[in-house]
Amino acid sequence: MSAVRKSSMVTGSGRKIKDNAADWHNLMKRWDKLNDEGFDVATNIVNLRRSQSDHLLLENSSSSSSSSSAQQVGGVSELEDECFKLQEVINKMVAVVTKMEHLMKLQQGIEDLEEFQFKGEGRKAPLFHTWNTKQFGAVSRVLFDSFSEELKLKQTILQELAHTSSSDLCMVYLSSWLHQPFIPTHTRLTLEALLLETGHRPL
Amino acid sequence: MSRLAVSTLHDVLRKSFASLESSQKLWISVLAECSLLMVSLGNLAEQWRALCGVRISNTPLRGFPDLENRLRSKLLEATDTVLVKLNEKMFSLQSIRDSISNQVSAVLQLYEQNADSLDLLAVTERSTTTPSVADMLEWLQDAERHYRVQFLRRKTLLQTLRADDLQFLESAPKRWKSLDSPGAQEQITDTLCKVSFFLESR
Repeated sequence: MSAVRKSSMVTGSGRKIKDNAADWHNLMKRWDKLNDEGFDVATNIVNLRRSQSDHLLLENSSSSSSSSSAQQVGGVSELEDECFKLQEVINKMVAVVTKMEHLMKLQQGIEDLEEFQFKGEGRKAPLFHTWNTKQFGAVSRVLFDSFSEELKLKQTILQELAHTSSSDLCMVYLSSWLHQPFIPTHTRLTLEALLLETGHRPL
Repeated sequence: MSRLAVSTLHDVLRKSFASLESSQKLWISVLAECSLLMVSLGNLAEQWRALCGVRISNTPLRGFPDLENRLRSKLLEATDTVLVKLNEKMFSLQSIRDSISNQVSAVLQLYEQNADSLDLLAVTERSTTTPSVADMLEWLQDAERHYRVQFLRRKTLLQTLRADDLQFLESAPKRWKSLDSPGAQEQITDTLCKVSFFLESR
């Protein structure tokens, strides 16, 4: 490895890109944890809704008593608590995606600097193994777009979940939360490729 | 002559029952893992069914136009993963079946080789600690048949499952459960109990 390339990994653009890659990895881990947490809460919401509507059915078919209406109130406040918890999970996910946007912008800054430094001709040798600098930007954009869209989906689920009476639609909401349709499986591979390229993973 | 043949058979029988004991434990644990995978399959089938029952364009999810295809893709992937894991478990069950089959055929081969020197009394003689050779051979054959049939039935069921066939996926957990044979399983446990003194004696 040339002395020039070695030093670019320790300082300057190479260092920044390497740190960004580590940040992407940490952010995606945090997202995964929040996704699991959110799924548990969302499942609770659906179950509470279901038992509430079962309760209502029972009440309508028999005479109501004070104990059953007290149960009803308890059920409503439990549901509100779970919805609040889910909102908190979403808030944390918003923070994660905001940081992802920041990483994407940092990468853009590195590209702009290189454009200026090398007067549009680009570097003669890649910063790491094979990728040119533009490829890091492309990866950041793809990752950010995936997670943004997924976040929008989760925000919609948060708004609708506690008000949905159709059990099929509730199941589709839970399914969508769990399986994250806007984060395709190859996104994980993209991250692995980024970590390999920047030397976080051994070749 | 007879005593020597019986003694040789006893040695091999002891090995077979020891092998049966460890095979049974392994079989039960692999089946337990399969049960968990069947629960996952059932959950995924439920999710498929729900997605079929919803017109996304009539819901608040209409703002995500390619959501349905993407979700289908993900469900297909997840279902495929479970089916692959189930097939891996089948390999484990197959190797347990093969191990028992090999043991039992070795014992039977030995018996046949020594059949001339074994009279009726020798094979039916038993004591408080040692069951008769005839009984022990029968128990081993019963156990071998149980594992052989169980494996075949479960393998056949799995072969009917495809990730994109909702009907078969939905009914799979129930059909899998219906293959359980607690009576036969108990019989094997019973057998191992009956030979426990025999295994300890030398």
